[in-house]
Amino acid sequence: MNNVRDHDADAALDDYDEHILRRMAQMYAEADPVPPDLVARSQFAITLDALHAEVAELQRWGTESMAARAEAPTGVETITFSSSTLTTMVTVTPAGPGTVRIDGWAAPGAGLPVELRLERGSEHTVADEDGRFVFEDVSIGLAQFVLRPVGGAPVITPSIQL
Amino acid sequence: MIDATPVPETLAAKAGTLFDQFREGDKAKMADLVALLTPILWHTARAQRLDAHSAEDVVQSAWLALIRNAGSITSPIAVLHWMIVTVRREAWRTASRQSRLGAMEADEFEARPSNEESPDELVLRSADASALWRHVAQLPARCQQLLRVIAFADRPDYSAVADALGMPVGSIGPTRGRCLAKLRALLSTDPAWGIE
Repeated sequence: MNNVRDHDADAALDDYDEHILRRMAQMYAEADPVPPDLVARSQFAITLDALHAEVAELQRWGTESMAARAEAPTGVETITFSSSTLTTMVTVTPAGPGTVRIDGWAAPGAGLPVELRLERGSEHTVADEDGRFVFEDVSIGLAQFVLRPVGGAPVITPSIQL
Repeated sequence: MIDATPVPETLAAKAGTLFDQFREGDKAKMADLVALLTPILWHTARAQRLDAHSAEDVVQSAWLALIRNAGSITSPIAVLHWMIVTVRREAWRTASRQSRLGAMEADEFEARPSNEESPDELVLRSADASALWRHVAQLPARCQQLLRVIAFADRPDYSAVADALGMPVGSIGPTRGRCLAKLRALLSTDPAWGIE
C-alpha cells in the first residue's frame, strides 16, 4: 500500500524528525495563525476576580458570516450565552464612531444585576422585570459580562470583541 | 556546589515554572503563561476542526477553567497536559453540539471548517511548505491532529502531549511512532521537499 517500513516507527526520534516538526509548526503558524487578539482576550478574561463563577458558553449568530466579525463592526451581532442557571442573549448594534449599543435579555432575569467589564472599567445595570437590560454608547474593544443572580453563583462570559 | 545537569527548558517545564510562580502569589505570571501556551492550545482546538470563533472561545474558557481549578492541579509541570486535555474535551463537545445544530440548520457550521483549510486556497510561502502540507493532508486524521499539536511542543514533552490528546502510549516520543514515520516516508520520495 505504501512504502513505510514498520521498524521506522520504533526508531528513536532524531534531529531530522525535529526538523520536520519545526517546519510543520511554521507551516501551521502561517496557514492558520493564532488570532492576533486571542492572547489579550484571554488575559483580560482571567483578570476578573470572580474565580468561582460559572463560565457561560457562547453561541454567535451574526447577520454576516461569522468570519467577518474580526473586521470593522459594521453589522449587528447577536450572541447567546448559556450556563446551567441562566440564558442571556445580547445584541450588539453599531451606534456611532467607535461605539455600540448593547441590548440584552436574560432568563430568568428579573432584577438581575448585570456588569459589563470593559478594558477601562466596568458599567453596571439591572435588568427590568422582563429581564431586559441596555448599555448605550459603549466604546468598542474587549468586553465581558458578569451576571450575578440573587442567591446564586455569578456567571461570567468569555470576553468578546465589541 | 557542583552544577547539576540542567533540566531542559521545555514548553511543559517553562509552563510549570510560571504556573508555580502564579500560585506562589505572583499574579502577573499568569499573563506570561497565557502568552506562552496560547499557540499550542489554538492548534489543539483547530486540529479538532473547530471554526475559528469557537476555537477562540474554547481556548479562553480553558484559561478561565484553569484559574478556577488552580488549586487542584497537583504538579505544576502537569499544567500543559491539563490545558491540552481541557481544550481538547471542550473542542470536542463544542464540535459535536455544532454538528447537531448543523443537522438542523442546513449544516452551516460543518461546511465552514473544511473550506477554511483547503490547501488550494492557501498561499504558503515556499514550495517546501506546500509539499509538506500536501503530504500531511494524506495522513490519517488522528495523525494530523497529533503532529499538528506536537509540532508546538519540545521533544521531551512529546509523549505527555500525545497522552493529553488521548493518543496511545508510544504514538510518539521517545520513538518516532507511526504517524511521523509515515510522514517521513512520504517526504523522502518528494523532490519538492528540500533537505537543508
